[in-house]
Amino acid sequence: MRTYGLFIAAAWLCTVATGAAAQTAGAADRAERLPPPAETPAVPSPTDEQQRPPGEETIDEAAIEAEIAAQELSGEAQVRLDAARDSVVQIQGFFEGSESSAFHGSGFAVEDGRRIVTNYHVVAQAVMYPQQYRLKYLASDGREGPLHVLAIDVRNDLAIVAADDLELPPLKLRPDIPAQGERAWSIGFPLNLGLTITEGVANGLVENRIAERIHYTGAINGGMSGGPALDRRGRVYGVNVSVVTNRQLVGFIVPAKHIPALLARAGEPLEKQFSALQLRQRVTTQVLAYESEVLEAEPSGADTQPVRGFVLPTEITPYVECSTFDERGPHVRVRVEVISCRVPSQLSVQSGVPVAGLTMQHRIVRSAGLSPLQFERQVNDVAAETPRTGQPAHVAPFACHDGLVSLDGFDARISTCVRQYRLFAELYDFSVTVVSIDDETQALVSRLSLQGVAFDSGERILKRYLGALQWKP
Amino acid sequence: MEAVMLIEQVGALGHPILRQRFSGAGAECRVGQDLDCDIVVDDEHAAAQHALLTLLEDGRVRVQDLGTHNGTRVGGKRVPADGTVIEQGEIIVGHTRLHVRTRHTPIGQERVFRREFVQKYRTPLAAGGVAACIAYAGFRQWLNAPSSLSRSLITGTLITLGVLSLWTAIWSLMTKLNKGRWEVRVHLTIASMGAAFCAWGYWVGGLVAYAAQWSVLAQVGVVVVGATAFVALYLHLREATRYGRHIALAFAGASTIVISAIAWVIAVGVDTSDVNRMDLGPDVRLETRRVVPNRDIAEYLIEVDRLQRAAGRERQKSLLNAPLADAGD
Repeated sequence: MRTYGLFIAAAWLCTVATGAAAQTAGAADRAERLPPPAETPAVPSPTDEQQRPPGEETIDEAAIEAEIAAQELSGEAQVRLDAARDSVVQIQGFFEGSESSAFHGSGFAVEDGRRIVTNYHVVAQAVMYPQQYRLKYLASDGREGPLHVLAIDVRNDLAIVAADDLELPPLKLRPDIPAQGERAWSIGFPLNLGLTITEGVANGLVENRIAERIHYTGAINGGMSGGPALDRRGRVYGVNVSVVTNRQLVGFIVPAKHIPALLARAGEPLEKQFSALQLRQRVTTQVLAYESEVLEAEPSGADTQPVRGFVLPTEITPYVECSTFDERGPHVRVRVEVISCRVPSQLSVQSGVPVAGLTMQHRIVRSAGLSPLQFERQVNDVAAETPRTGQPAHVAPFACHDGLVSLDGFDARISTCVRQYRLFAELYDFSVTVVSIDDETQALVSRLSLQGVAFDSGERILKRYLGALQWKP
Repeated sequence: MEAVMLIEQVGALGHPILRQRFSGAGAECRVGQDLDCDIVVDDEHAAAQHALLTLLEDGRVRVQDLGTHNGTRVGGKRVPADGTVIEQGEIIVGHTRLHVRTRHTPIGQERVFRREFVQKYRTPLAAGGVAACIAYAGFRQWLNAPSSLSRSLITGTLITLGVLSLWTAIWSLMTKLNKGRWEVRVHLTIASMGAAFCAWGYWVGGLVAYAAQWSVLAQVGVVVVGATAFVALYLHLREATRYGRHIALAFAGASTIVISAIAWVIAVGVDTSDVNRMDLGPDVRLETRRVVPNRDIAEYLIEVDRLQRAAGRERQKSLLNAPLADAGD
């Protein structure tokens, strides 16, 4: 049970991390603080040159059917790759005047061939630090030139970029989700190894996934982010976005249906329209909208779990995933049961800065014959184990407040620490530790961590969390 | 009354190694390497006939340099060619120091002999102090609930005794060199009592801080450590050296500042805003021994609300320390 729980936690973690670090293929400094990310984009290339404007909101199903029928059906990866080759570009980011790339990803042309779709996380550094990072494309025929970001969708991890004189054969978008088991391909530039196609199977939408993602069973690796995911007719059903590392071929694809809306928003290059501050505010607004929707949503059903007399909040929002396991205590005569719940952060405002995440870990610590003083000591040890996250470059130091608080049925000492993001003044991290007191044989050590939330929102979640903790033997 | 002068030659450790008394006006004392001198010095920086000290009728002493290259110094000043007259003081010949006393030198009142408390009870005090130290070490070992308690206790006891022995030995040796006595029990009393007071005081300070829910009180432990270190060092110095009260106080004070700074870093941590706050304060919080009432959730949330401004201040500070690379605003 425990192994399974750990697997789930690790899997989501890696997914998130990959999302966050998508652009770090060449940047060792960013790569080292994250679990090794591997994002592979695979996008199908349209086999013909039809120029269907994908910006259309209404879908003419009959027309689509006719179109599909007209397309070449092929299960050959070679056919798919040849058809898409000219539409896919490598996107590289450079730090100031450097000639070696800081990060890279993939992108593909759509619509009239002048717009290129990629992941937001591929270009995030350039959006956040326009004066430090510049973007360049590298086309299959060897052409290269500067790129501009036209529109971003942080929630779906998408971005539209364009180059001044670049016109490529566009790929066609497929707005629906491929059926489970449908053969699929992903194209991109994994690990800077050149244009690559991988073959796999689309496995439908991931359930309980907050942001819509298609599960792709096939190889995706860092650098393929932003590349097209193709179906058998060469249409783009999604954009490679992330992969679960250290597992076998579990990749995620952003459905293509989110692209048209973003294309409709794409106009002038962002850096011409907005200052860096305004851009950050736009990003923050998108994050906060997502956060209030996901983290503050009212839970639907039973949202607590009784454990040894304590009633513990589990699903304080509908998207929480929990696992229960026992843990090796700090001492042989201390037993620890853990309920670990999390809403994985699926957004990152820039490389290595995941936001809008929630983690709750309840630990019931029980004494096996220790004296009260000895047990207190062990409980303190458990309570003091705090994972350190966040880099000083991204977040300011914590400000903390401690107190003894009467909760429902028991007293606890609570320490709340809050820190602000350096670049995004509206985003905060919360770290709350609750330790029950006065029981000589059993204690609750519960921790709530919020990543990248608005302060008010954090307070409301804290209130909901504290209100739900209960001692009811 | 007959004129008298007493001349002491001072050794390297500050003790008199030779004492000679001259009486009667006109008495002379020659100093130099020559064996005909009244005070013969083995000092290669002194001349054969270096200085002449003459006792005058009024009881004072005339000091004359006998034309040497290095000269003779009185009170730090070189004696002029025609000599100088002193009532008392230190004369330096080459590297040799001579103390001169005459009838003009004031004599203090008899100091009443008083056995000091520590001296008087040094045996029970030393035993008690060592016991308190071992008790603390044992308590800390027990607190960790080790798998083999006896082994932990023995380890803790040995470490405690080892540290105390080393410390006591250093001070005793210093006392022996300076005063000729070892005074082991006195130094052991000072060291063990000081250490026990630091350890237990620090722990109790943390406990009180928790009971009162006033985190500043946790820093009282630092004050306890500092004050104890100050007193202990002062007593050690007074016992082991011939320093006066002021110098001993100054030495002890300077050392205390360093020790307190170290204690401060350990107690408060380098980063007080560290999220890992549960290990601040005492290791053990006795059950329900708290004197402040609990807050309810609403009250606590109001306090948390103030964290927004505090976090904002932290951000401002961090931005001032390390500005954003590309704020672009």
